[in-house]
Amino acid sequence: MKRKILINVVGILLAFLIGALVMVFQGKNPLEAYYQLFAYSLGSPTKIAYTLNKSVPLILTGLSATVAFASGPVNLGQPGQLLMGALFATIGGLYIDLPQGLMIPLLLLLAMLGGALWSGIAALCKHFFNMSEFITTLMLNMIADSFTLWAISYPFFEKNANHPQTPLITKNGWMPEWGSFGSNVVVMLLAFIIIWFIVNRTTSGYEWRISGQNSLFSRLGGVNVKKNYLAVMLLTGALAGLAGGLVIMSGPHRFIKDIGGNYAWDGIMIAMVANSGVFLTLIFGLFFSILQTGALGMELQVEVPRELIKVLQAIIVLIVVAGRGYFEGLFARMEARRKMKGRA
Amino acid sequence: MMKIIIGLINGMLASATPILLSALGGSLTFYAGIFNIAMEGMMLGGAFFAVLGSYYFHSWVIGILFAILGSILMALIFILFAVVLKMDEFITGIGLNLLALGSTTYMLRQIFNVKGMFASTEIVSIPKVDIPLIRNIPIVGEILSGHNLVVYLTALAVLVVYYLVFKTRFGLRLRAAGYNRTCLDTSGVSANRVRVISLIICGVLCGLAGSFLSLGVVTGFTEGMSAGKGWISLAAVILVSGSPTGIALISLLFGFTDGLGLFMQQSMPPQFTEMVPYVATLIALFVYSIRLKKKSLSTGVL
Repeated sequence: MKRKILINVVGILLAFLIGALVMVFQGKNPLEAYYQLFAYSLGSPTKIAYTLNKSVPLILTGLSATVAFASGPVNLGQPGQLLMGALFATIGGLYIDLPQGLMIPLLLLLAMLGGALWSGIAALCKHFFNMSEFITTLMLNMIADSFTLWAISYPFFEKNANHPQTPLITKNGWMPEWGSFGSNVVVMLLAFIIIWFIVNRTTSGYEWRISGQNSLFSRLGGVNVKKNYLAVMLLTGALAGLAGGLVIMSGPHRFIKDIGGNYAWDGIMIAMVANSGVFLTLIFGLFFSILQTGALGMELQVEVPRELIKVLQAIIVLIVVAGRGYFEGLFARMEARRKMKGRA
Repeated sequence: MMKIIIGLINGMLASATPILLSALGGSLTFYAGIFNIAMEGMMLGGAFFAVLGSYYFHSWVIGILFAILGSILMALIFILFAVVLKMDEFITGIGLNLLALGSTTYMLRQIFNVKGMFASTEIVSIPKVDIPLIRNIPIVGEILSGHNLVVYLTALAVLVVYYLVFKTRFGLRLRAAGYNRTCLDTSGVSANRVRVISLIICGVLCGLAGSFLSLGVVTGFTEGMSAGKGWISLAAVILVSGSPTGIALISLLFGFTDGLGLFMQQSMPPQFTEMVPYVATLIALFVYSIRLKKKSLSTGVL
């Protein structure tokens, strides 16, 4: 356990070092830049609240990818599922108006439905025609991109707006805020606890994990692989959809062009660097959120373009994952050598 | 009517070119047994460096050279992680694609001081080539002549890759590396070396594809301008199990649907016509899986 933490920390530090070298090369002071990065994301309660808010879509799409990868399906459709979830929640918020206590759960359910519908298409393609979800989800991402853009440019377009966007959703569908602390964080934490419980404490979760590690073994052991596949695809689609719904309901309260940003791909990266562990996904999701929020501070104070963080994220993923493989091999060899000596 | 058909064919060739080039690169790595999904990132990197080279040296030749070098750099990163450090190829590929997206966005900001896109009159694009004699033949001339130089290079690349894979010693080793790498290793040829070479050639081809995007189709760089073309080319590689000629045909098919999409823009919102190539990929996968099912049923092997 200690070793695992060490590997992650060393990987992150190495990535920061590379980032620092890039900054020195640009004639900037890396220490000052990194200080501003953390000061801007964690420097005050308001900033921490903002960082937490920003982590919600990252962690939810990260959980989606984590559950999928750990259980076998290569669901890379989080970007599309997020957009569809956001679109469903927006449409619900435009045409339905209920008291807040009903409206919020309804919109969250709609968002999950939208995401699950989109991942469900890929799941059915696999179920009936054995089409690899790896390619289908990627293509569905592109299709969702165009489809949502069409939806907000024509049928749900806000009149007189000068770029594609919908009108505001009903106020009853806005996620409540306590000061700068948003209730979307509570929804995210609830989702995290439920996912953690399903994966680690239920029979289905056990079957999923075993199927992810060895599909043949689990099938011989009596696991209904096909049924589990469908369940995982729908659940992970719903999670990504939920992320999209929350982006709308706690953000601009309307669907704006490019609202999905890069959340979902970041989520996929988080799942990879977290080695498909549910808890580590939460930690890395928070960490990536700190980086992304702090990036603006870095840009404002030290004039290091905030896009540098995108490079840093990818480097962190590559180095931590590669380092994990490398060090685990090294430790295994060292242990074997020690045992050999003990025997001799 | 004739004009429309000629327009469609020319549109098809132009849209097929980047897909075909990167799919040829993917074909080589496919034969080498590498699950290479980094074509998207290599293409994007190539597109950026093409603009960089062309902008600073006012020459499309240097642009292409830069594109290829940039793309090879991406391939080297892939090699470092997937071959040297033996990291999972899938994770390496995704990581590399996002690194390409992040670093081109960063460099766009840092070097050109713009966001989203960079265009300038200083960028020299790759010229179109008029073939003498042929261009004077009616219809045939309009189809065969007057394309971007890269389109012709692509046609050449199909032949070269075909020859390389099936008619040379390297090709034999390449296929052996994918088929049974231990066997290749024990016969005294390093499978890793073959894999590294295939990745570098893949980088060259993807770099060329990228330069076509940013110095051919348009002149300038847009964030994420590869727009899934690398993924489509991956689908093409999987659909035909790597065969270069099959890849050429299927890329032309994808290119045709793309051209058709542009053509349909008169009667449909552009967002729907943009979906066409991706829907076409899904349909192609569907047809492929049905065929596979029939085959396995008729031979009795599942």
